[in-house]
Amino acid sequence: MSAVSSILVIGAGQAAAVAVATLRDQGYQGRITVVGDEAHAPYERPPLSKAVLAAVEAEEPGISVKEEDFFSARDIDLRLGTEVVSLNPVAGQALLSDGSAVAYDRCLLATGGTARQLPGLSPDAPQVHYLRTLDDARRLRNALRKARSAVIIGAGFLGLEIASTARGMGVDVSIVETASRVLARVVPDAFSTWLQARVAASGATLYLGQSINDLQLPADAVRVSLSDGSVLDADLVVVAVGLTPATDLARSAGLQLNAANGGIEVDTQCRSSDPRIFAAGDCTSQHHEGHGALRLESWQNANEQARIAACAMLDADAPPAAFPWFWTDQFECNIQMLGLPRAGLQYVLRGGMDPADASPKFIMLGLEGSIPRHALAVNAGGDLRALRPVLERGLEVDAAGFRDTSATMKAYAKALLASAVG
Amino acid sequence: MANWIKIAQVGQVDEDESLAIEVDGKQLALHHTEGEYFVTDNVCTHQYALLSDGYIEDGCVECPLHQAQFDLRTGKAMCAPATVDIQTYEVKTEGEDILVAL
Repeated sequence: MSAVSSILVIGAGQAAAVAVATLRDQGYQGRITVVGDEAHAPYERPPLSKAVLAAVEAEEPGISVKEEDFFSARDIDLRLGTEVVSLNPVAGQALLSDGSAVAYDRCLLATGGTARQLPGLSPDAPQVHYLRTLDDARRLRNALRKARSAVIIGAGFLGLEIASTARGMGVDVSIVETASRVLARVVPDAFSTWLQARVAASGATLYLGQSINDLQLPADAVRVSLSDGSVLDADLVVVAVGLTPATDLARSAGLQLNAANGGIEVDTQCRSSDPRIFAAGDCTSQHHEGHGALRLESWQNANEQARIAACAMLDADAPPAAFPWFWTDQFECNIQMLGLPRAGLQYVLRGGMDPADASPKFIMLGLEGSIPRHALAVNAGGDLRALRPVLERGLEVDAAGFRDTSATMKAYAKALLASAVG
Repeated sequence: MANWIKIAQVGQVDEDESLAIEVDGKQLALHHTEGEYFVTDNVCTHQYALLSDGYIEDGCVECPLHQAQFDLRTGKAMCAPATVDIQTYEVKTEGEDILVAL
């Protein structure tokens, strides 16, 4: 393959920042151009629904992925507030909204996505909020400071995090969800039940299994009518019903998109259907053994795919992707997931999941036979970390031994690993 | 002159384990790995969490909240999401006592 001397990164979020850092760390000295439509240099999104949302303006935490002078110090041409208006994969050239053109030998699509919108809830309405960007978070923060009440539509991770933060700010919160339980797609029943009790204890009200019959947006207010006849009146509404991957450029460039999840299809090296174009982060769809094509929206996946894509663009070997890991901080709990949920897992519990417990600590381990595939930890990150090699290697676990809290998780995991070696 | 303060006894912290200690109002962690003791700040520089609840591997302690890693010898932040190092402190053992220099 001919030498690579010009790399274009489209998007300026977590994946973009990690990719360009990896390119330079790999010794690549050619041109790097990063084009992002937001005004901000790459920042971490996880705090947007938590520390950034809860902060008073003057004390907003720094969330930049890289220090301020990183891009200039590493000779990276960072063009913010600029959009790529078209991508020509044959010519290897992109046209930007400022009228300039950028030619590339390799291109990385790190375009992320946008908050999925609901009809009748235009983000232009002052009392309607979506949360994807730093500007969204600041706008919502200002509104929550003045609000007495909020309706949150969607009880996924983001909706629940926003609900938790809003409760912490003293706002009355109602959460509306079409599924019959929270986080229905990713956690077992018992976990949903536990978390729902935790949500209720915070003073927030959950409306589960509800569709929205009617929506009114009178001045400075919202009125949401639910299928069970409930009518919710509030000062604002936050819609958190998932992400639409940003794939317009990929589509117009003729790249293969996944029909089911809409993501840009990439192989294990994060290469798209065009050999010179790669993709990383929330905009991608990738095959996962035992799960099929998945679009993983996580901080870790953005980092891992960016690192792998950057190496592949330079034809360098990358260490394999880390085992899937995800966290959420809500209702005074740190909740972590290791591995991916799949149908038919039997969950065993270590520790106690009394919803009234002020500082709960437990792990639920999802077993396929005796092989652990998925783990959920509440305030037990250190223990989950000890268990990670057991899941990575698919070692057999005995449920009784796992439950036995007379041995530490570290000791238990060590013993399993030691017996697997022998 | 270093001010040596007794913080624990030899054998009190198992291999690859950590102990939370408070000295002079400072939250510190005593770590034991590969036969050596290390003392660091106990609070992660990324977000409030105690490193003594974390995980020790390859000379680093990993935060239990978001998996930031810190080098036990130097305090250097080794990976995201942490970008700020933690402070480390000199440690010595005298007989059965473990002491830290503050």
